[in-house]
Amino acid sequence: MAWRSALAILAVLALASLDVVLAQGEPIPVGLSAPLTGFAAPDGLSVRQAVELGVKHINTAGGVLGRQIRLTVYDDQAAPPQGVAVAQRLIERDKVVAAVGGSYSGATRGAAPIFQQNRVPFVVAYAVHPDITKAGPYVFRVGFLGPVEGAGAAEVARIYFNAQRVAMMTMDNDFGRALAQGFRERAAKIALNVVGEVIYPLGEKDMAPYVTRVRAMTPDLIFASGYFNEAALITRTIRQLGVRAQILGEEGFDSPKYLELAGAAAEGVVIVTNLNRDDPRAVVQTFLKDYRAAYKMEADMVGASAYDALRIIVDGVRRAGTTEAAKLRDAIAATRNFNGVTGVLSFTPQRETIKPIQVQVVKGGQFRYFGVITDPEIVTPP
Amino acid sequence: MFVQQLVNGLTIGTIYAVISLGLTLVYGVLRVLHVAHAGIYVLGGYAGLVAYARSQSLLLAFLVAMAASGTAGLVVQRWIYLPLLSQPRIVPLIASIGLFIALEDLFRLVAGPYSLAFSARLPFPPATVGSIALTPAQLLVAMVGVPLLALTWWVLTRTKIGLAWRALAEDPEMAEASGVNVSRAVALNFLLGSALAGAAGVLVGIFFNAVEPTMGSVPAYKGLAIIVLGGLGSHAGAVVASLLLGVVEAVAIGTVSLPRDALAFIALILILLVRPQGLLGQR
Repeated sequence: MAWRSALAILAVLALASLDVVLAQGEPIPVGLSAPLTGFAAPDGLSVRQAVELGVKHINTAGGVLGRQIRLTVYDDQAAPPQGVAVAQRLIERDKVVAAVGGSYSGATRGAAPIFQQNRVPFVVAYAVHPDITKAGPYVFRVGFLGPVEGAGAAEVARIYFNAQRVAMMTMDNDFGRALAQGFRERAAKIALNVVGEVIYPLGEKDMAPYVTRVRAMTPDLIFASGYFNEAALITRTIRQLGVRAQILGEEGFDSPKYLELAGAAAEGVVIVTNLNRDDPRAVVQTFLKDYRAAYKMEADMVGASAYDALRIIVDGVRRAGTTEAAKLRDAIAATRNFNGVTGVLSFTPQRETIKPIQVQVVKGGQFRYFGVITDPEIVTPP
Repeated sequence: MFVQQLVNGLTIGTIYAVISLGLTLVYGVLRVLHVAHAGIYVLGGYAGLVAYARSQSLLLAFLVAMAASGTAGLVVQRWIYLPLLSQPRIVPLIASIGLFIALEDLFRLVAGPYSLAFSARLPFPPATVGSIALTPAQLLVAMVGVPLLALTWWVLTRTKIGLAWRALAEDPEMAEASGVNVSRAVALNFLLGSALAGAAGVLVGIFFNAVEPTMGSVPAYKGLAIIVLGGLGSHAGAVVASLLLGVVEAVAIGTVSLPRDALAFIALILILLVRPQGLLGQR
């Protein structure tokens, strides 16, 4: 009779697990594309860790619509062809209901049209290129447009430093160019004196010739663009060549890797970015604390932005009451005053974000609050 | 500003020289375009970084890096180039390219894809002469690079093994007939050239505060360009071409906004149009 009782136990177990499935529903598949390898790998790691933390936060709080979130992460190496391949894989194989774009502009520009064609909501964390959201109504952006952030930097140079002679060091890619364009336009509007600009290629290592040129312009403030590697090299070279001008950076500087590579030279550098570490709101402090506890490192801007992108998707699912694509898209598009780690944010009809620009300073080897730009004329995307 | 750019250019040129001198040494005795030399150089960067992290000693970092790269060079010469030397010249070249790619991926797998900070505490402050600033890293390049170049020069011109290398470069069969121990000469040649590359890896690691798996990709082709520019097989030519290229890059970046490598290769093409045999090469 042993087999009969075994069968009975099995039947009970099966019923019980069926019960759980019915109560909880199938997990909701959500995708993430991030540069886990290649030159942007540290940013990819931040993004993956932050989104995984977000999934944990959401699932331990009971999920959404009684269902858990199931995350699938692929590596796009920050390269356009991989971005496309990852998008296709997430849509066709993993059947994700929405995805977080956790990569740079190149890979994200390739992926956006794929998500649009397949009508899968795609929430881009921090890529700055204007064309990304132009792919169509299924593509959203949590981070700033390059020109908006550049304009914010010009405003910082004016109101916080009253800069008289500004030199620009611009990275020659879509990121650097978009920032420079916003900076120049705002500078012209507020009569900020830009004395010159040097443009260096992505991947440049020896910044001395460029900084030497900047030094000859005798600036009192240098607005520099670059990712953390370039940013650290620029910062060190400026100080080593004896230039004392204020260094003003942007979100590319916002990485623990920058602080590590630039070392003492980073002290006093001010950046415009998405994340204010000293924001008293609980959502920010919980994120920073849990991130530190989970990964034994400090969170950064790309991670915080990707965390927000995930929570905006989940918030959309909750308000839509379904994962059905068109309704989910409409719900995400209706996001207003969302309490995000990167600020209280809303989407414009063009699916761009409106939120304050954070100004941080490096103090004691950490990013701390320095100021904030809230002027609607600057923070409202064109 | 011009003098400062000259200093910037000579610094980077010295680094180029330490890398490409090893390359031209190898070309001289084996007639192999040793692309994997750039991989040996990256190995030196990592070895130096590990040694420095353990010991906090710059001297030890350089010694360990040169030993590691020198040994790796010997291994490559003995077990990869030697068996292939009887093949057409393209075969060792392809092997070398393959080895370089494999090394790059090996470094990525072992050390991770990130650039690691090489924050060495340099025992000298920044120096300022008038309006010219010399960074501690630039001073280090001068203090390590110049003696290494001088030492190599001394070995080449004042020692028996240097004479053997020059003889091999000129006429391998005649050299052997005159009693040159070819396999020993070639091995020592690889040892010195690779050790130089290892030292260059540490210099670059400290200079840019970064050691990364892909740090060899630009030197891989720029090193070849330099030894062609200097005149294939010419040792002095490689050094002159390195310094010239460094200065041209720095000064040109100071006036035109073109990427460094574009400028470098425009200069290369212009010079080769006038002197197809290279700066110090013989027709």
